[in-house]
Amino acid sequence: MPHTVVTIGAGQAAAVAARTLRRRGHDGPIVLVGDEKYRPYQRPPLSKEYLSGEQEPEDGFLLDEQWCADHDIELRLGVRAARLDTTQQCVELEDGSRIPGDGILIATGSRARRLPGVEGDRIVYLRDLDDAARLRGYLQPGSRVVLVGAGFIGSEVASTARSAGADVTMLEQLDVPLEPVLGREMGEVCARLHRDHEVDLRTGEVVESVTETPDGVTVRTRRGTVVDGDVIVIGIGTVPNIEVAERSGIAVDDHGVLVDEYCRTNIDGVFAAGDITSHWHPLFGRRLRVEHFDNANKQSMAAAKNMLGRTTVFDDPHWFWSDQYDLSLQYAGHAERWDEVVVRGSVEALDFVAFYLDAGVVRAAFSVERGAEMYLAKELIAAQARADPAKLRDEDIDLAALVS
Amino acid sequence: MSEWVHVAHLEELTRGRKKVVTVGSEEIALFLVGDRVYALHNVCLHKQRSLAKGTVFNGRVVCPGHQWAFDLETGWEEEKEECQPTYEVKVEGDSVHVIPQRRVLTEAPAVRD
Ligand SMILES: Cc1cc2nc3c(=O)[nH]c(=O)nc-3n(C[C@H](O)[C@H](O)[C@H](O)COP(=O)(O)OP(=O)(O)OC[C@H]3O[C@@H](n4cnc5c(N)ncnc54)[C@H](O)[C@@H]3O)c2cc1C
Ligand code: FES
Repeated sequence: MPHTVVTIGAGQAAAVAARTLRRRGHDGPIVLVGDEKYRPYQRPPLSKEYLSGEQEPEDGFLLDEQWCADHDIELRLGVRAARLDTTQQCVELEDGSRIPGDGILIATGSRARRLPGVEGDRIVYLRDLDDAARLRGYLQPGSRVVLVGAGFIGSEVASTARSAGADVTMLEQLDVPLEPVLGREMGEVCARLHRDHEVDLRTGEVVESVTETPDGVTVRTRRGTVVDGDVIVIGIGTVPNIEVAERSGIAVDDHGVLVDEYCRTNIDGVFAAGDITSHWHPLFGRRLRVEHFDNANKQSMAAAKNMLGRTTVFDDPHWFWSDQYDLSLQYAGHAERWDEVVVRGSVEALDFVAFYLDAGVVRAAFSVERGAEMYLAKELIAAQARADPAKLRDEDIDLAALVS
Repeated sequence: MSEWVHVAHLEELTRGRKKVVTVGSEEIALFLVGDRVYALHNVCLHKQRSLAKGTVFNGRVVCPGHQWAFDLETGWEEEKEECQPTYEVKVEGDSVHVIPQRRVLTEAPAVRD
C-alpha cells in the first residue's frame, strides 16, 4: 500500500480517485497536481448548463474546499507536471519542485484536437472553463455560430446555441454525422434533431481555411462553401495528454497510456485512469480509449481500490449520455461492426432504444428518451447476452426478463 | 405534521409496480418490489427527471436521466455520494401510507462492495 499518492492531472478522474482513496481508508498524504488554475471540475456542463448560463463554475466543482481541508487533500494547481522519476519515486513539476509519491495516478485526460494554425479570439476549441466562458460571451439572439464537427460536443453546443437564439451553421465532413459510431440510420436521427431545430447542417464539407477579422470569422470548405460567423467552434475529436508518461518511460500507444484491466501501467505503483488510458477491456477483448465522464469515474474508482490492494477488475461496459434539445441521448457498450440494428420503440417519435448485434450478441445500444431501458441494455451488454431480436423489439416483454 | 397519510391502495401498485402520488407539495414515487413498498422523492436531485420513469434493479432505482442509482431504502447514490430524499412507508392491509417528510442521509451508509 502506498504512503503518499500523487495524481498527475486534477480533473474528473483525479478527484474521484482522491475521494475513493479516503473513503476506503487510505490515510497517507494525497496530492493532486493540476495545470489549470481551477479546482477539479466537471466538464459536461461546459457545453450545456454552464454554456447556457443556467449554471456557474462553482456548481461544477468536484471537491469542495472544506472537504479537502477536512480530509487533508492537497491541491497543487496552476502548475504542470513535467515527468515522473520512477526510480526516485517522485513527480517533477515544471516549476522545478519535486513531490515524493509512492503511489501515482496518471490522470492527464485529453485535449481538443486542433486544426493546424487555426487559432484566435473567435476560434474556440471547447475543453476547459476558460474556453466555455469565452464561447458563452458569443451566444446571444441573432449571433452567428459556426460549428465544425457534428460529433457529440458539437451537437450539444448547437443545441445550447439554438436555445440562446443564435443562428447555427454546422459543417460536418461525413455524409451522415456520427455514422462510424452509430451507423447510418441512427446518424440520420442525430442529423434530424439539428434540422428540426433550424440548424443549418451541411454534410460532406471539409474545412479548408478559417480566417479571423476584428469583427468575424470566415470559413471556406474544399467544396467552395463560404460561411461567415461571429464565432467558430471546432469539435473534431481529442488527443490524449501522453507527454508526461512518454517522458517517464511509461508504455503508451497512439491512443494513450497502456493499462491492464486493473488500471496498472508497466511500472509498479503507477496507475492511470480516465480519458488518458488505452485500457485492456476484458468484455470487448481489446484495448479501448473512451472519453466519457462515467468511464473517468468508474475507472478511477477501480484504480484507487487497486492501489490500496483491493483487487478490482475494471470491465464496465462503458456508457455515456449527451443531452441535446431537451432530449436524453445515451449510448452503452462498444461496437465497430454489427450485423443487425434492432429498434425497440419508435424512431419517428424519438422514443427508442437501438441494439447493435454482432453474431446475435448485444454489443452496444443507443437510445433517445429511454434512459430506464438503457440500464438494462448495459446489463445485456455486460452479460454478452444473445438476445432474440423479436423479443428485444417486443414492448410487451420487459427487458428485465431478458437479463438473466 | 409528520403523520401517516394514506396515499394509495396496494392494488394500484401491483400492475405497474410504481406510481406517483402527490401529498401537499411533495411528489412521491412509490415502488413495489416483492411485497415491499418504497417511497422516494420523485424529482431526481441531479437534473429533475422523474424517478418513477426509471428502472428498479438490484435494490436500487435508476434514474432515466443520467443513470444515477439510488438505494431504494436509503436514497443513497454510492458513486456520487449524494442522497435522494426518501419517505417512511407502511402498508396496512391494502392501504399504503407515508409520512410526507423527506429523509436525507448526509453521509454514506456502511461501505458495501
Ligand atoms: C465540453 C465537454 C462536454 C462533455 N460532455 C460530456 C457528456 O455529456 N457526457 C460524458 O460522458 N462525457 C462528457 N465529456 C467528457 C468528460 O468530461 C471527460 O471524459 C472527463 O472529463 C475525463 O476526465 P479525466 O480526469 O480523464 O480528464 P480531465 O477532466 O480532462 O482532467 C485532466 C486534467 O489534467 C490536466 N493535465 C494534463 N496534463 C497535465 C500535466 N502535465 N500536469 C498537470 N496537469 C495536467 C488537464 O489540464 C486537466 O485539467 C465532455 C467533455 C467536454 C470537454
Ligand atoms: S436527472 Fe437523474 S440522474 Fe440526471
